[in-house]
Amino acid sequence: MSSQVDQIKEEVEAKLIPIYVMGKQYMVPESLTIMKAIEYAGYKYIRGCGCRGGVCGACATVYRKPGEYKIRTGLACQTVVESEMYLTQLPFYPANRATYEFDNLEGVPEEIFQLYPELFRCVACNACSKVCPMDVEVMDYIAALKRGDIAEASRISFDCIQCGLCASRCMGELPQYHIAQLARRITGAYLTPSAEHLKTMVANIEAGRYTKGLDELKAADTENLRNLYTEREMEPATAGEDWSPQSDAYL
Amino acid sequence: MKLCYYPGCTLKTKARNLEDAALASLDALGIEYEELPRWNCCGAVYSLADDDLIHLIAPVRDLVRAKEQGADTLLTLCSMCYNTLARANDLMREDEEKRKTINDFMDEEIDYGGEVKVVHLLDFLRDDYGLDKLAEKITRPLKGLKVSPYYGCTLTRPREVALDRPDKPTVLQDFLKALGAEVVEFPSSIECCGTYQVLGNQESALRRSQAIISDATKHGADALALTCPLCDYNLGHKQKVILEQNDGMSELPVYYISQLLAVALGVSADVLRLDLNQERATELLKEKQLLAG
Amino acid sequence: MPYPDSLKQLIKVVESTREERVARKLKNEEVPFLSLDERAEMLKHHPDVKEEGRREIKVGPSKGYRVAHEMADLLEASSRVDPTKIDVSRWDYETDVLVIGGGGAGTSAAILASQMGANVIIATKLRHGDANTMMAEGGIQAATKGHKDSPYYHYLDVMGGGHFKNVPELVETLVTQAPSAIKWLEGLGCNFSKFDDGTLKTIHGGGTSRKRMHFAADITGAEMMRTVRDEARNRADKIKVVEFSPAVELILNEHGHCAGAVLYNMETEEYTVVKAKAVVMATGGCGRLHIQGFMTTNHYGATADGIVMGYRAGVPVCFLHTVQYHPTGIVFPEQAEGILITEKFRGSGANLVNIDGQQFVNEREPRDVEAAAIIKECIASSKGVPTPTGKLGIWLDSPMIDMLSGEGTVEREFPGKFILYKRFGIDISKEPMLIYPTLHYQNGGLEFESTGKTSVPGLFLAGEVGGGIHGENRLMGNSLLDIMVFGRIAGRSAAEYVNAGVQDGTLTLDHVKKYNAEIEQEGAGDGRVAPMLLPDYTEPVTRERQLTSHYVGTIR
Repeated sequence: MSSQVDQIKEEVEAKLIPIYVMGKQYMVPESLTIMKAIEYAGYKYIRGCGCRGGVCGACATVYRKPGEYKIRTGLACQTVVESEMYLTQLPFYPANRATYEFDNLEGVPEEIFQLYPELFRCVACNACSKVCPMDVEVMDYIAALKRGDIAEASRISFDCIQCGLCASRCMGELPQYHIAQLARRITGAYLTPSAEHLKTMVANIEAGRYTKGLDELKAADTENLRNLYTEREMEPATAGEDWSPQSDAYL
Repeated sequence: MKLCYYPGCTLKTKARNLEDAALASLDALGIEYEELPRWNCCGAVYSLADDDLIHLIAPVRDLVRAKEQGADTLLTLCSMCYNTLARANDLMREDEEKRKTINDFMDEEIDYGGEVKVVHLLDFLRDDYGLDKLAEKITRPLKGLKVSPYYGCTLTRPREVALDRPDKPTVLQDFLKALGAEVVEFPSSIECCGTYQVLGNQESALRRSQAIISDATKHGADALALTCPLCDYNLGHKQKVILEQNDGMSELPVYYISQLLAVALGVSADVLRLDLNQERATELLKEKQLLAG
Repeated sequence: MPYPDSLKQLIKVVESTREERVARKLKNEEVPFLSLDERAEMLKHHPDVKEEGRREIKVGPSKGYRVAHEMADLLEASSRVDPTKIDVSRWDYETDVLVIGGGGAGTSAAILASQMGANVIIATKLRHGDANTMMAEGGIQAATKGHKDSPYYHYLDVMGGGHFKNVPELVETLVTQAPSAIKWLEGLGCNFSKFDDGTLKTIHGGGTSRKRMHFAADITGAEMMRTVRDEARNRADKIKVVEFSPAVELILNEHGHCAGAVLYNMETEEYTVVKAKAVVMATGGCGRLHIQGFMTTNHYGATADGIVMGYRAGVPVCFLHTVQYHPTGIVFPEQAEGILITEKFRGSGANLVNIDGQQFVNEREPRDVEAAAIIKECIASSKGVPTPTGKLGIWLDSPMIDMLSGEGTVEREFPGKFILYKRFGIDISKEPMLIYPTLHYQNGGLEFESTGKTSVPGLFLAGEVGGGIHGENRLMGNSLLDIMVFGRIAGRSAAEYVNAGVQDGTLTLDHVKKYNAEIEQEGAGDGRVAPMLLPDYTEPVTRERQLTSHYVGTIR
């Protein structure tokens, strides 16, 4: 067993590779992510590190490989180091964000056009989509917005983590991710029907419909609660939307 | 033949009356098409600078999408989109050096060399579908509707992408005749509406449009037929301003060719989207008993 | 990275037993569930019951309470900066409400307080929105469907999940304010997954009696966070956000009311003073303390700062004796370490198997039992699978799912995880996943009331920093709910408190001085300082060479 551990550890630890952090060489284990390699090299993060799980957009990283003209990107917490890579992180990139009173919007494309007139500076070069570490088709959602299709832009941009790499590469100088945020909020609040059952429930709670039942529960001792808990009717996993419990005493 | 349809941004917002009527008509004619996936703005204005390749990226990318779909023909409705896409297509077919530069730049896309043919609804109906065949499908001829054909600039200029003779085109007249309309020719038919000046010199644009409307009216037209959302903006939407500024002018309804096509094919009136035209446009069709109610 | 050859050899062992295990599953011949007695026995392997994992806190309002060493280490540490050196008679910022923490709870509190006219400063350690909120995938519970559910049933579920130890008033508030929190988010444009008619989609979570988990695809927390953050940014005239500037001490005034905080600009290493009429503490949890050496699903900044500050100011702690471990976190590949693998994999039939390819527990036991069984198998039974990073794991045999439910099921039902692993060169429909329990949630925290008030006037709190709502164990989907319900309440309460008129007085850090003295007197602390602010992942060998640095907390 311990020989197995050693064997596996050895297999990985033996290999150190050179990477260049902002041009300076460090030897790091080849299995590490860029983030852990940078920490291995002795840096301590303040900027450029967030959730460490690939969803917060703090650790956008730009790199090149020797002999290649292409700019490559990735999230430092998700991308494994490669030998000879030249990298830098881009923890922040300035991008204009419009301010709006959300409640006063009507949810029409013209509002987006007015708040972000630079939208029409897009020349469809696609540099934005190429650098997106989440593989969002950024250019496509900008194209959708230009033709006023807010819902489609929301759909395409949904996985955006707002790291800002798109804005850093845009020759039209668009703040794509801010525009997409506005589009998604408009879609959520104005283009999607609101939930009727939710309104009803909020009104029922405000009218005190459940107060008596909750008072009973709060007054119950642990034994009693345990019984109520054990006996509560379970909605089956396969039940459809119209399922109703046998007892409606506390509904 | 596989036909892809390229809508263009304006058709999805301000010019739904151009698109909805056209698509309903295509269905009525039994023409199969699919909307181009992942299309983006065509760029709207074809750049005249010889080395300004970046503005060709947008239209070429649309052509790449069509090629990806296996389409051999890309159908347009807006004459600006037609013009930009067709010219970009010519360049990709004919200029080897620029073709390579553009293909190299778009290294994430398949190479493109002008394989797809770009058409406008008008030349498509004339050359591929056939105006005779169209005439046979007409169920509600536009009898008694005196219509002037208005081409504007971009359907017939420059010569390389012109649908017809730039100096004396007839395709629109032939189309309108096939619909059963009474064609009223007028000299301003191929004049510019002034749209290129609309931001810098609004008055100049209004003067151009005023001259075109007056000219058509003078020659006895009841209405104007066009195919460009920018022309429609100046001649249709701005007509109220023109009428206010010029005493004695009478209102001239402006229609997209697709709306007249849809009327003549007898498709349901709600696809005409006449709410986006002048009110007078609805009234005139009713007067001519071309519209129920 | 893909599995190295040595692990591929071990995968062959898993493959050798797979067909037989699938056949048993198809015949419903499951590994039997543990009886209640057996469960109790198994739970002896759970980190929570490991008495050697905790100790009594030697100082402060909850002196004598046993908590994890890592937490006690912080609570028994001195202030980061000598309180006598900070001049609180002058301040750099003055505001009505200071919100400490820029996650979902803090941001909601700021919006609500600003709507009531308060000027707000959000002081946050990293960027605005860098928080566990952003990482929550699963969903948010709320009884919104009156034909089958109500706050009554939500209440029962929450209590059952928390071993009936939860604070009833907090639970009542949580479940009755849940629908209005969802409605608020809906109005802000948060894209919850819906049917075409606007009906919210809801699913079950572990321990729910009704399907009441709302979600926004599989990034619910991120969608909520970016929505409220965007709204806060629209209110820049009332809400000022100060990033990379964590609070390191609360400031009280001569009347004993909370009246501001000392901020530490991590980039310029300056300390600044904020004078505030009220403070909302919303600093989140503690996963990055790596309690008992566990990996974590948590954000880089989850270091329990708020608990340290609040405790020093006199607020007792509760329920900190329990910590939630999610049974299945990725232990290899290294780049995904700690990331959560949803229970749905096990629900879909994937077995947990040891290095010999043998099952050792039914894969659908409750979370704590499952986690304990995995730990027992790896440590007490020495049947764990060694990973290339020197850890131990257990196989979660995902390829079974395709064998049970048809080719392509894994890819279709688990697109996020399928793609994640694919990036590392691992096809989880063909190769199993290596997992181990991962530190997920701080069940306890500072004591507070359902209005967000604490025992210190002027100090309010919301979110994971508070304890009592979830008792000893939180149910899935109730943490996103907690931050929205109590974030909004804390913001409102703080603004009401300010609007009612606040007694001004001389600012002081005397409570910190007193606390430092108590530590010295008890001989606690061992020279440590807190709050920690950021975890330290420097290699020991590098640390040895960093002669100019000294590693007390993160001070350099």
